[in-house]
Amino acid sequence: MDHEHPRRPQAPTGHGDEVELALLQPKMHATQFPSLQITGYILALVLTLLAFGMVAYHWVPVPSLIPIILVLAFIQGALQMGIFMHLREGRGTTWHLPVLALALFVGLGIVGFSIWIMMFKSGVS
Amino acid sequence: MSTTTSTLPPEFQDNMESIRIMGFWIFLTTDLVLFGSLFAVYVVFRSLVGLGPTPHQLFVIGPVLTETLILLTSSFTCSLSLYSARINRVPGAIAWLIVTLGLGMSFVLLEIHEFASDVLNGHTWHQSAFLSAFFTLVGTHGGHVSVGVGWAIMLAIQIGLKGLTLTTRRKLYAFALYWHFLDIVWIFIFTVVYLSGIA
Repeated sequence: MDHEHPRRPQAPTGHGDEVELALLQPKMHATQFPSLQITGYILALVLTLLAFGMVAYHWVPVPSLIPIILVLAFIQGALQMGIFMHLREGRGTTWHLPVLALALFVGLGIVGFSIWIMMFKSGVS
Repeated sequence: MSTTTSTLPPEFQDNMESIRIMGFWIFLTTDLVLFGSLFAVYVVFRSLVGLGPTPHQLFVIGPVLTETLILLTSSFTCSLSLYSARINRVPGAIAWLIVTLGLGMSFVLLEIHEFASDVLNGHTWHQSAFLSAFFTLVGTHGGHVSVGVGWAIMLAIQIGLKGLTLTTRRKLYAFALYWHFLDIVWIFIFTVVYLSGIA
């Protein structure tokens, strides 16, 4: 098993946690200037103010308003995950990606199915 | 400008610290399930206002937008604290951490002010199912931010006393994960509770 793997220089060794996908290889970005963080901050501000403007100044018709701002929230959440929570950094990715997937599955499942089941209430009563 | 180096951050080079970071991800998972449940409760109960105010009547969006911008900025300064730690600048790491907890405190104060004025107007969480769900969801998030502020104070003291050791780096990394997670939860509260409420 382990001795079959070629050892990558930056991979943690000997604990069965070697990264096998090139995409998920351990990496860390060292920069002279926190440009990634500043980009993330500006994008977050733009998305927030965009959602706020849509609601406060009626930039879009009401029926499509809620889906649009929800999509904006999901985009911003994904941005925060990718940029600020360092999802692709370190050897964390292969470790925490299954946990994160489970969390999203359970979390969205609870929310989605609760809303779905409550839609039947009006039909029953 | 961006160069990929062959070295991992110190907190990831150590096997034990990596496992602790993994453990923190598992905690965040359970926290996500908690907030998911409270969001589900809120969405189900938001139209059951009884004799109390509707979301549209209750919410004052100005202070809430301020809270949102404060929390977004604190998320940014938190990432700068970690960035400073990565390039081994202890004063920078502590200073940005203090900015972060200051912003976190002002967020909590604004939220306490909002809740207090609601209660003084008679809108307690006894009044309707909507208000119960609202105070529980937003209050749970506010409680998390308050805990985070306390954590950041202790962390800043510890980094000041011990410098950037393997342990304090891992603690700073875990705190950053926690803080960004709370920011993401707030984005959804802002959208699902407040913006949808006044739409």
